[in-house]
Amino acid sequence: MKFSVSSSELLKQLQVAGGAISNNPVLPILEDFLFKIQNNILTIIATDMESTIVKRIDVTSDENGSIAVPGKILLDTLKALPQQPITFSINPETKAIEITSAYGKYKLSGEDGDDFPDISHPDFEDDIKFSSEILLNGINHTLFATSNDELRLAMNGVFFKVEKNNLTLVATDAHKLVKCSFSNVESKNRASFILPKKSLNLLKSALSADEPVQMMVNETNAFFSFNNTTLICRLIDARYPDYNAVIPLNNPNLLVVPRQDFLSSLKRISIYAGKAFNKVTLSLVDSSLTLSSKDLDFSNEAIEQMPCEYTGDPMDIAFNVKFLIEMLSVLDCKEVQLKLATSTRAGILVPGEQDESEDTLMLLMPVMLETY
Amino acid sequence: MFERAILHLDLDAFFVSVECLRNSSLSGIPLIIGGRGQRSVVASCSYEARRYGVHSAMPLQMALRLCPDAVVVHGDMDVYSRYSKLVTEIIASEAPAYEKASIDEFYLDLSGMDRYLGCWKWSGELRQKIIRESGLPISFGLSVNKLVSKVGTGEAKPNGAKMIVKGSEKHFLAPLSVKKLPAVGDATYKKLSFMGVRTVDTLSKIPPALLQREFGKQGLSLWNKANAIDESPVTPYSERKSLSTERTFQIDTTDVDWLKDSLAAMVTKLAYDLRRSGKLTSCVTVKLRYADFNTFSRQQLIPYTANDLELIRCARSLFDRLYERRQLVRLVGVKFSHLVEGSPQLDLFQDTLSDNRLLRVMDQVRDRFGNTALTRASLLDGDN
Repeated sequence: MKFSVSSSELLKQLQVAGGAISNNPVLPILEDFLFKIQNNILTIIATDMESTIVKRIDVTSDENGSIAVPGKILLDTLKALPQQPITFSINPETKAIEITSAYGKYKLSGEDGDDFPDISHPDFEDDIKFSSEILLNGINHTLFATSNDELRLAMNGVFFKVEKNNLTLVATDAHKLVKCSFSNVESKNRASFILPKKSLNLLKSALSADEPVQMMVNETNAFFSFNNTTLICRLIDARYPDYNAVIPLNNPNLLVVPRQDFLSSLKRISIYAGKAFNKVTLSLVDSSLTLSSKDLDFSNEAIEQMPCEYTGDPMDIAFNVKFLIEMLSVLDCKEVQLKLATSTRAGILVPGEQDESEDTLMLLMPVMLETY
Repeated sequence: MFERAILHLDLDAFFVSVECLRNSSLSGIPLIIGGRGQRSVVASCSYEARRYGVHSAMPLQMALRLCPDAVVVHGDMDVYSRYSKLVTEIIASEAPAYEKASIDEFYLDLSGMDRYLGCWKWSGELRQKIIRESGLPISFGLSVNKLVSKVGTGEAKPNGAKMIVKGSEKHFLAPLSVKKLPAVGDATYKKLSFMGVRTVDTLSKIPPALLQREFGKQGLSLWNKANAIDESPVTPYSERKSLSTERTFQIDTTDVDWLKDSLAAMVTKLAYDLRRSGKLTSCVTVKLRYADFNTFSRQQLIPYTANDLELIRCARSLFDRLYERRQLVRLVGVKFSHLVEGSPQLDLFQDTLSDNRLLRVMDQVRDRFGNTALTRASLLDGDN
């Protein structure tokens, strides 16, 4: 079997697919890329059994076949080559691979493509269509809020909920929660599932701006297809907590502040906060917001005041400043609104202005003002 | 004479002395302070009992076999704390800087006092004052650092005093058995004996690199100790680094539910202490000892909390991962470490407002009526 392909084109595809290869794979063959050639189309498959990336590029080949190529050595070779056509010739008996470039020949040994684990396929054709913008936006807004707690498996991923022409992404680590809804999606049926963090990171790096994405789901996997790529992610098999129940409905106190000013102020204040809790106290009275933090161990203290629009009862509330900074950083809007009830109930952070098709809501649980 | 002068004070057979003070008919006879159960150990014993080979931390059953005539008294920790406090107050009123190393041990830093007061004279007077005012026998050792003073006290006992002047520390330690050095326990002693090291003198002559190879980090500190080097300061106040408790069962058991419930009861009690000291923990350790004395422990990092339910959940899951032998269990214990002062981050799904309010009210009831006044029904058990 023989085929020719442009080195830089192949490298581009392999670098994306290579993200799925794990550092310590469960099977040795998972260190390889699976190359499948059918009718002048090369399909590249890389997997760690949790997420799988499938890439397709055009090549010129003499026959059909498959081979597993060691990942690291192939990537290193391609990185070191300037852009040029290269030829792979594979001995079907010995699985020996010979790469020919303008400079010379490189030999490496592959493995039988049939030994590569099968990848799963969607068993029905009910798909959801949306633009990559939506997915990128949703991932950026939610990924940071996921948890690393092994005891709370469901929270290690992002929850996807599909309703008629609506997609909602939710992430939480039990202290903060982000919910993003998008209405400009094309879908007929309902579905809900949890995608692991790693898959979402892969998705993020594989997606380019403004291309149509098609999503399909079965019992165990989610399939994202776009351009010449398919990404298959194993779902987290756990029950997602009832996030709607924890969003407080009655929040009479409303703070409106310019996002950038609020963020810079918090960044300065955070330097002086105690490292264990990163606690910042917001004191709210009519049209004035006072931010303060203290580190008792080192007698560090900071206080700042900034103008704001505040309607409601004067109140003090404390938050983990790191969480607040993370949340404000992922938003891009001029003003943010913080809706509050009491100092022990979750605060709701929403962008001041939003697209009609988009609805982002962030929830942050306060730090207690006093000890138990 | 002294550049640095450290005084170590140690109450002689503290628990026994207190019992004798309260009941004079107990003095002069072999007396053992120990717990009630079948498996309790000797907490302290009189010098008369020590003559029979009884020593503290020995199982009570064994002590009684060695000395059948001994009188066993079940101690009262509250009384001991009260007497300890009394002695502490006397020392606090006299000493420039003191460290309370345990319930019956004190370190005093007397550096710079020699020229005007005479450390030896001053220490003797302090000792007499403690004996006069509390009625308890006390011994002391005076030397250039904590280590030598402590060993000196050990040599001065019972009811004596010893001074090791600067320059003679090494001579003083040299002929002693390595066992007399603090931090040389049974295991280290055994290992040193195998190496042919029995006296401090021999130990001090071993190259430190060799000790480091054999004992790791501890080897170097062992060598320092043998050479009478100890720079550790007298620290008047030391922050608690951890809170822990453990429980040895009357009868070994494999009843997992019951084990978990006793673990939960311990966590509840410890969490209350944690909240009362205004602290939060972020590291929970569970310890398990099987009937064959094999001991295992496992720990987990969690977000800072002092909430009962959260801590019980964590302790239970640690126990599940730890108990894998299907063997009788002798002891379980739990420890909270990485303590910090502060207020907790609230959880969206777990601490609801009512939970926190309940916790606070329960604490108020316990503040008023004692730690055991109120508990969760699920933790009640015939054996608690």
